[in-house]
Amino acid sequence: MKRLWSVLSFWRVLAAAVAGIGIWATVVRFTQGLGAATNLSDQFPWGLWIGFDLLVGVALAAGGFTITATVYIFNLERFRPIVRPTVLTAFLGYLLVIFALLFDLGRPYRIWHPLIMWNTRSALFEVAWCVMLYTTVLALEFSPMLLERLRLEKPARIIRGLSVPLVIVGVLLSTLHQSSLGTLFVIVPEKMHGLWYTPMLPVAFFVSAIAAGLSMVIVESFISARAFGRRLEHDLLEDVGRAIVVVLALYSIIKLQDLLIRGVADLLFVRSPESLLFQVELVFGVVLPMIMFSVPMVRRNRGGLFVAALLVVVGLILNRLNVCITGMQGAMGQDYFLEPGMETAYFPSLLELSVTGFLVVMGCVGFTLAARFLEVFPESPGLDGDYEAARIEVQTHPWVRWVSRGVLVALAIVLVEGAVTFDFSSFGGERAGPAMLMSAPTNRLVLRLPPDMSYPPGEESPGVVEFSHAMHVDAEEPDCAACHREAFPLVRRAGMIVPRMTWSGEQLHEQGWCGMCHDGDESFSVEDEEECGSCHFEP
Amino acid sequence: MALGILTDITRCVGCRACVYACKEINDLPRDEARHLNSETWTCVEERAGLNVRRQCMHCLDPACVSVCPVGALRKTSEGPVVYDESACMGCRYCMLACPYRVPKYEWQSALPRMQKCIMCFHQRVEQGQQPACTEACPAQATMFGERNDLIREARARIRRSPERYVDHIYGLKEAGGTSVLYLSSLPFERLGFPMKLDVEAYPRLIWNILSTIPNVVLTGGVFMFGLWWLINRRETLSGTPRSPADAQSIASSSQDEGPEPGAGGDRTRAEEE
Repeated sequence: MKRLWSVLSFWRVLAAAVAGIGIWATVVRFTQGLGAATNLSDQFPWGLWIGFDLLVGVALAAGGFTITATVYIFNLERFRPIVRPTVLTAFLGYLLVIFALLFDLGRPYRIWHPLIMWNTRSALFEVAWCVMLYTTVLALEFSPMLLERLRLEKPARIIRGLSVPLVIVGVLLSTLHQSSLGTLFVIVPEKMHGLWYTPMLPVAFFVSAIAAGLSMVIVESFISARAFGRRLEHDLLEDVGRAIVVVLALYSIIKLQDLLIRGVADLLFVRSPESLLFQVELVFGVVLPMIMFSVPMVRRNRGGLFVAALLVVVGLILNRLNVCITGMQGAMGQDYFLEPGMETAYFPSLLELSVTGFLVVMGCVGFTLAARFLEVFPESPGLDGDYEAARIEVQTHPWVRWVSRGVLVALAIVLVEGAVTFDFSSFGGERAGPAMLMSAPTNRLVLRLPPDMSYPPGEESPGVVEFSHAMHVDAEEPDCAACHREAFPLVRRAGMIVPRMTWSGEQLHEQGWCGMCHDGDESFSVEDEEECGSCHFEP
Repeated sequence: MALGILTDITRCVGCRACVYACKEINDLPRDEARHLNSETWTCVEERAGLNVRRQCMHCLDPACVSVCPVGALRKTSEGPVVYDESACMGCRYCMLACPYRVPKYEWQSALPRMQKCIMCFHQRVEQGQQPACTEACPAQATMFGERNDLIREARARIRRSPERYVDHIYGLKEAGGTSVLYLSSLPFERLGFPMKLDVEAYPRLIWNILSTIPNVVLTGGVFMFGLWWLINRRETLSGTPRSPADAQSIASSSQDEGPEPGAGGDRTRAEEE
């Protein structure tokens, strides 16, 4: 027990630290804007807060609709014990997604605008509505836990009575927005790497969300069993694991078919950061967990089941980040008018990371509070005996545990090594950047600059002014209108580009003329008596 | 009336009169910006030795307009794509979706806006005048007019001096066609123009998917309701409780979810039968 306590307080200190940095990041974000808080730029308008907080957050909450559908529609009553924790996880997940959007939106106080300003052609409009409605559904599904606690039996009974319609609406809404999050990216065929871009993104997003949502149910059960010393419904989770195998198999077929049909399967074998990331995502997030979940010995082992589920979750995180961020890195540096000195790579700022960490901590704290004060787990708590029994069972297959841990360590090594060694600006392979465009043989249009001009002196003038275009302008980049404005703009007359000139000697010193730049600021001042001889010459 | 702009890259001398005119009419800070940003809505970039003026392409069926969840962007019947900053909530999906990467953001502002060329719609075009940039151009390298007239003019120029132009009017078909058109003496890929753009408009990509939603909702709803109904009825008729544990939990459920009303209803009906 003492050990458990020290573990818990370690997590508490960590949570407090992350929350502290997160609050600081929040202040910076809302007082100084997105530019100061994030590494987002015109090249990378969407970053970690969309890629992780929105895409991953929604996908990992997919357990909510799958488990409720299993129990209420398919009538597999034995899964009922995991309904409440799953609904709670999903509800908290969606609240956090909405909370995260308040950080990401440039004008968060307008988050309600989609309610009254409609654009039915927009996938994001549809996502906004579905997320809003589904969060309401989750709130209703969650509310009996709260109402029971407040001893409001009648409203609780009414809402329980609405369970089936609520679940059906919830499944429909989830189907729509889980897939529509993929639809968002169907509009960028040229910007996303071919391994991820496909018109099938909505289907891939939906199927992978189911697999990851179910895996999240397993992960969450394990963590709460450990944290709250509860009995683990291992037999139930084992069956969830079997279901995940089927979903992952479906996902693999969809992916493979898609790569073949679009004729980009060869991209898999081209050595590039993208193909490596794709392989890691597929091997660790799909293939390995499929194998692990399929082997009964692994599935029945606590460590094995947990690691397999964790792999699916990590695989999904990789997938969403690849779609939203890394899959776009290449194109950002590659095509249209790459502007010199512009960011060609995006990596989240410390503030972005800490806000995301803050949200995760808030989710854990919310779950802990709910678990403490509400009837989240149907059985009576504190079955330490079962917990110990299960621990003994672990001992019977030590090799499974070691293999599982080995897989985790391998994944960690791959990820850490990737994060350290990846040069994100090398994405996209050969690029037609400015260098290539510039070095191409040019038919440069070299401007014939107008000849030198001399302006006769005015009454008090020390002498003639000789003006040379060559001294003032770079013929390769003339920028004529920088000076030719206001008093003497360029116009076209008889097929010639000429300045519209009406001037007198006195005017030349004034604002619109020489004095425009010779103001003592950009260049020496027309009033500077030491410099008169620079322009005025004795006749 | 569909208006547009034709920019003839071969005629541009790089004087940047258009850039400064744009900054003046839109009240933007006059700086040395050489590239598009939130304070520079048009610019002249040197590409392969030519002066290329960039601005919003004002697509005929713009991706940005289609993706904006609050309809803050609008394609006017006159041609310009305009922006209503009072609606914008700052999701920046337009920036992601635009195949030309035109929309830019005020990253440094605490109350940021998306910014881009609006073809001087409110100040000029709505009043029947031409935009500031085309008016300012001393070389007549960029001109304003009916899109059809501009296409005719572009074709005439190519026909008149085939040695001077590549036979390609950029914007005629790209991204489903744009209101802003370009002529060039070099192939457009040499100038860095995106060449792999769909010849059909972008919004179709999304609409192909979104238009299936009513079907998904209807068939999905019927399917699931039917499934629930069939499964419940079958189990009710066979008379077996779903599982002993479940029967128990129904009997003593104050903390459990309890039986569904439909299931209970079915059961009584079955008993009546």
